[in-house]
Amino acid sequence: MTAAIEDLLGPAAPYSWGFLDEQSKREIRRAILTAVAVPGYQVPFGSREMPVARGWGSGGLQVTLAIAGEADVVKVIDQGDDAGVNAVNLRRLIASTTGVATTTDAREATIVQTRHRVPEGPMRAGQVLVLQVPVPEPLRAVERGEAEQRQLHAEGDYARMWVSLYEDLVRHGVITCTTGYPCLVGGRYVIATSPIPRWDCPKLHQSEHLSVFGAGREKRIYAIPPHTDVEPLTFEDVPFEVERTPGAACVLCGAVEAYLVEVPGRGWVCSDTDWCARRRRAS
Amino acid sequence: MDPVLDIRGLRKTFTLHAAGNRKVEALRGVSLRVAAGEHVALAGPSGAGKSSVLKCVYRTYLPSAGAIHLRRAGGTSVDLARLPDHEIAGLRHTEIAYVSQFLRAEPRRTALTVVARAGMRGGMAADLAAQAAAEALGRLRLDRSLWDTHPILLSGGEQQRVNLAAATIAPARLLLLDEPVAALDAANRRAVLDLVTSLPTRGAAVLSVFHDPDILHRVATRVILLHAGQITADGAPADLLATADLR
Amino acid sequence: MSWALRVAGLGVIYGGGCDRCPERTGPAAGAADPGLDAVDASGPGASRVVCDRCGSVVAAWDVSFEVAPGESLGVIGESGSGKSTVLRTIAGDLTPWAGAAWLAALDGGATDLFTLDRAARRRLRAGDLGMVYQDPAEGLDLEISAGGNVIEPLTAAGWRHFVRMRSRAAELLGRTEVPVDRMDDLVHTFSGGMRQRVQIAKALATSPGVVLLDEPTSGLDASVAAGVLDLIRELSEELGLATVVVSHDFQVMHMLARRVLVMHHGRVVEEGLTDQLLEDPQHPYSQRLVAAAR
Repeated sequence: MTAAIEDLLGPAAPYSWGFLDEQSKREIRRAILTAVAVPGYQVPFGSREMPVARGWGSGGLQVTLAIAGEADVVKVIDQGDDAGVNAVNLRRLIASTTGVATTTDAREATIVQTRHRVPEGPMRAGQVLVLQVPVPEPLRAVERGEAEQRQLHAEGDYARMWVSLYEDLVRHGVITCTTGYPCLVGGRYVIATSPIPRWDCPKLHQSEHLSVFGAGREKRIYAIPPHTDVEPLTFEDVPFEVERTPGAACVLCGAVEAYLVEVPGRGWVCSDTDWCARRRRAS
Repeated sequence: MDPVLDIRGLRKTFTLHAAGNRKVEALRGVSLRVAAGEHVALAGPSGAGKSSVLKCVYRTYLPSAGAIHLRRAGGTSVDLARLPDHEIAGLRHTEIAYVSQFLRAEPRRTALTVVARAGMRGGMAADLAAQAAAEALGRLRLDRSLWDTHPILLSGGEQQRVNLAAATIAPARLLLLDEPVAALDAANRRAVLDLVTSLPTRGAAVLSVFHDPDILHRVATRVILLHAGQITADGAPADLLATADLR
Repeated sequence: MSWALRVAGLGVIYGGGCDRCPERTGPAAGAADPGLDAVDASGPGASRVVCDRCGSVVAAWDVSFEVAPGESLGVIGESGSGKSTVLRTIAGDLTPWAGAAWLAALDGGATDLFTLDRAARRRLRAGDLGMVYQDPAEGLDLEISAGGNVIEPLTAAGWRHFVRMRSRAAELLGRTEVPVDRMDDLVHTFSGGMRQRVQIAKALATSPGVVLLDEPTSGLDASVAAGVLDLIRELSEELGLATVVVSHDFQVMHMLARRVLVMHHGRVVEEGLTDQLLEDPQHPYSQRLVAAAR
């Protein structure tokens, strides 16, 4: 006699709350605590297999799922946009495995998971910014060997980073690093701010909120606690500059002091869609 | 008056390890003194050990036995045979000068600079040294056009004169001259010998090797004859050279 | 302080080492008569670096010397003599098995270099101790510009002013006769002699008091080598550097060194003023070395 597929499957074992089992969450939380205790230090952790492929935010996702509680409100953006495909999928996954509320309003969220942007408006104390990081290692361009990279961080020897900035400046007249600009955290460790643009680096400095960086493929977590110094690496006589397009303004809300992206055929618009929408409602 | 240089029982034996540890005795107990204002010339046949004496004093050779006392400018006395290397090196730049046929190559310094720097090492200020260098080279009849040339490009005789200028520019207490006119023609030889003759009058003690007996007459206040590593005679040039066979 | 660098009892052993290593190696190991036996590499009194008890290689043993400010000391020997090993150990690239070393510039000479951790050794290399390697590719990053190489020790020493660093680099490259209009060219486009000059400029960047040079002119054409040696000598005098120069070439010693140590199979067999060593070598090995150089 043939059986129906449903009979063969049996009752589905429910996912644990937040998809990850409790042991995994514990390990990730411990890694986050270490990261917060040593600002800018890349803490290795056992990165789990997630329903998103490596390179698609598995690290940020693990951080969010490890720290989310029932009362949390989660916002997910990709390049500033809540409606991007990846942001939507991640938000659905988080909501369906935790049941927490989600939002597009950065002011309401307790956890903001992001790829490539920090929300435009300032974040407040009690909020956690979770960043998805493809390449956590700022020294990768100047030193290939992992053991040597760790030795350099341990000794605070960033001479070769400085030399690469010098070379950049000599070759191009400006420092051309656009995303992942190296910053010195707490005067001790240099981090890759990957992949947020230079525009957003100042937002990390002496922030009210906690920033946690998760790299799933590279298996590292690092953090910047509130009220920590974050200084972009630059020479005394070469000021750190953010991206600007002279004369550009958002065609939707008119903002000039915001990170703008160009839409072919339309002009410049705010990258942070939520912030832009609120500005439009306010006016 | 105490001599500037007081050599006592100097022996030098070479051990040739590659030839079955064969020993060659170059000096077999040489004792001599040179006072300030004296010019003592060593004479004797080839292989007698004349140059060896100079080299032992300059410490190019390590004496095997004996003492080489140098009375320094301040009055203290040191035994060059027992002095550590770095102290010898210090003395070489200030109190002992050595002139040989061979010039230590300084490819990128001009002849004038080489001499001036020797003056500065001896304590002269840079501008004074430059001036004194010009005077020294002029006195030795080195052609002016060669002053800005690198010594490595000069002839043997020209190099010798640069050597001598460098050695005499600053007042050294002890001058060791090893055949300083060997490569010179008659006219240049005269200029050099004039300078050499003036050295004792400036208070230096001079110990030299010349193979030409006529020169010995002219420059030396005393002549010491060496034969097979030992001194055979010591006296005024006129007395010795009439009777001795120097070839 | 009469010395800028002092080394005492330096020993470097590859492999575990045993308590018999020192006596089972070296020029006179087992030799009844340290005459020719002390030099040959065969026979019962053979001179060797490999300990026949444990197989470890005693690359250097019981090496001691001092270098005064403004003085240059040469270390001569053939391949395998341990001369480069000694230099690299002082520079911090190798770990010694025994011995100590002091720099006058470091705590007035009170701190043994070998007790410092890696970070402190790196700081030393960025500050008080310069090293020029035989192969410029070892001391330089060929993929960055000449200027970039020269400023690296400056950044390690905490310099953060772009214009000042660049002008210091230009000054040093000018001093080492690298054309300043090539300052931004990648070093792999430079000839061997020019690379060596860039290395020298880099070693001098932070005005160290002591500079170590390992076969600085090997692999260079004779005329190029003469220019580099000359440069080293002028700079040493001008800057009052204490230098240690390792070479197998007596010409180099004659040009650069006032005193020379002769090394053979890891030991110092003789030391003396350069002219004395060249004209009146005492040790059988020194005599053989000098004779071969003529």
